[in-house]
Amino acid sequence: MATLEAMNIVIPIKQVPETSKVKMDPTTGVMVRQGVEAIINPLDLYAIEVGIELAASGGGRTTVISMGPPAAETAIREAIAMGCDEGGLLSGREFAGSDTWATSYALARAIATLPPCDLILCGERATDGDTGQVGPGIAAWLDLPVVTYVSGILRGGEGRLVVRRLVEDGCETLEVELPCVLTVVKEAAYPRLPTLRGKQRARAARVPVWTAADIGADVGALGLEGSPTRVVKIESPTVARHGQICTPKDPGQVEAAVEGIIAYMEKLDLL
Amino acid sequence: MKPPAEPNAPSRFKPVTPAIAEELRQIVGPRFVIFDQPEALEPFSHDEVAEKEYHATPEAVVRPASAQEIAQIMKLANRQRIPVTPRGGGSGLSGGAVPVHGGIVLSLDRMNRILEIDTQNLVAVVEPGVITNDIDAAVKEHGLFFAGYPMSLQSCFIGGNVAENAGGGKAVKYGVTGRYVLGLEVVTAEGQITQLGGKVVKNVSGYDLIGLFVGSEGTLGIFTKIILKLLPRPKRVVDLLVLFRDAASAIGLVPTIMTEARIVPTAVEFMDRRSALAACQYLNEKIPYENAGAMLLIELDGNSAGQLEQDYEAVGELCLKGGALEVYVADNATTSERIWSVRRSIAEAFMVESPHQSLEDICVPVAAIPRILPELDRLCEKYDIQIPCYGHAGDGNLHVTAVKNPRHTLAAWHDMLPGLLGELYEITRGLGGVISGEHGIGHKRKNYLHYSVDEVSLDLMRRLKQALDPNGVLNPGKIV
Repeated sequence: MATLEAMNIVIPIKQVPETSKVKMDPTTGVMVRQGVEAIINPLDLYAIEVGIELAASGGGRTTVISMGPPAAETAIREAIAMGCDEGGLLSGREFAGSDTWATSYALARAIATLPPCDLILCGERATDGDTGQVGPGIAAWLDLPVVTYVSGILRGGEGRLVVRRLVEDGCETLEVELPCVLTVVKEAAYPRLPTLRGKQRARAARVPVWTAADIGADVGALGLEGSPTRVVKIESPTVARHGQICTPKDPGQVEAAVEGIIAYMEKLDLL
Repeated sequence: MKPPAEPNAPSRFKPVTPAIAEELRQIVGPRFVIFDQPEALEPFSHDEVAEKEYHATPEAVVRPASAQEIAQIMKLANRQRIPVTPRGGGSGLSGGAVPVHGGIVLSLDRMNRILEIDTQNLVAVVEPGVITNDIDAAVKEHGLFFAGYPMSLQSCFIGGNVAENAGGGKAVKYGVTGRYVLGLEVVTAEGQITQLGGKVVKNVSGYDLIGLFVGSEGTLGIFTKIILKLLPRPKRVVDLLVLFRDAASAIGLVPTIMTEARIVPTAVEFMDRRSALAACQYLNEKIPYENAGAMLLIELDGNSAGQLEQDYEAVGELCLKGGALEVYVADNATTSERIWSVRRSIAEAFMVESPHQSLEDICVPVAAIPRILPELDRLCEKYDIQIPCYGHAGDGNLHVTAVKNPRHTLAAWHDMLPGLLGELYEITRGLGGVISGEHGIGHKRKNYLHYSVDEVSLDLMRRLKQALDPNGVLNPGKIV
């Protein structure tokens, strides 16, 4: 990680269900959240780590924010335990049901009410919604430049950062003006584990809860009402595997069975 | 003394003839007998002991579906003098399921039903072929918990766990498998079916035959039904990964967790420098492991978040006071998995060094652990190999693993191993320990049992075996 000057860094994170054990309700097609542990979106951990390292190298500060139910405070405290300096949570009924448009609006408003920041670091996407839209959305609401899929911060200074960005067929090196939004991929950092001292600091930390009024957000632009996305239907894709089993009843029929499989594969243009 | 001392003298056993195979087919059905198909028999020739000299191929494999079928098979085996080796999931580490005298392997994989989960009496009744993890998953829905927790829980069968009296990571707090066996249905070596115990928590009605069968490694009887005691499931778990400068300060801490913090952890896993280094490098883990002479993984469980926070803080502070370099706290799935993967990857990490290893299972009084480590260093130097040491520090059960030096020839490795193991077991005995804590004797350690069991007891064990299996057909060549 490049050594940089002091920056004020805001890291928006999301609390998501631990998806390795998630089941789908076969009748409703909706995720069964009951009894599923909530964790920090694993891809946000890389943003947290990049932020902590940048702040440590330049003497800056990191503020972690999230929007979610009151229980999402656990995620904020975990980020503080890892080494973030402070945190705050957007929580209230007015936020419930927000899509990526309304979510990025709310987070952008929260960032605008915080002391001016130099850098906003987001994860690549959340493992539950999987859209990758909220980071760029925040940039749009705040009218800031954004670089997505950042795999490393190479150097900085004079109000700029030089970053490496992963693209499909290689990587790009870009220079971007601060303040800006970066969404980082897992190549960018190796997240640290929270320590006992970190956990103790996190428990003692005050995590303010902000409502729409606190961040001066237009309630009509939040929640279900403020969300242009409409979920019409959710389905689990059915994996339809058609196969052909040719069973030779005795050794004499093996050749015929093999012929049968060859014919089947030819029909599918596999041979 | 080169294990396994496999006599090439004329066998007292008879071969499985085509006529006998036909008789087996009539008992279990033609689909459930493997005979005369070397490729299909091969998977039944070994367990997880990698060394080839501990493998032996059966002449036939039968896959019965009931106690009655097993009883018939045992009667046939006694009549025809054919050895029968019961087999669970094949994840054993002492060769218990290996048919050292050929004959029949009796696989319990078809007897895999959970027969009952009795939430009123907190017991589960299961068949031996159920995968241990599946029992826990099934009782979880009822807020219950099966505390037997071998490290191979994804693949091992409960029947094998009972036969080996498996231990594992949670034994510090919850003890080993045997503590949870309230009842058994057993097919005896001679083919009789008997019921032992039941859904009762206390039972001193007669000799403790359950205690005799548990841990008998399939040499005294075959389990066909197991009644297991369940516990209320703890709601929360926290893991601490603690880095120490040296092993002595890590181990020195273990008793104080209980005496000073007055907490019984669920698990206290120990990793020496060699183990932790190899696992961290293998995983590309970035915690500052280079400075650590040893690590402890401490797991605590409980019901309230607040209480558990107090507990892990008390344990963590004790560690820091005792000279720990760092204490990492994992209270969610992401970080817990990361911490445990260090412990679980040790064996795999050394596979990179060499697939030729002798995974040992000594158990010493907890306070003796620091004294065994310099001895291991001495053995490493003397034999010019790596001997990582890791395992369950909370109960003194250490998986000392001799790893072949890639520069040595295989022949040299095989020549050195008996001497090395003899020395290791002598050291273990000197510290008041035993040669196996949870993996069992099987045929792998048969020739070394005298390091842990005196002549009088060995004779008692042989007489017990003779009394329960007069023709010696059930899993011969094991233990005594």
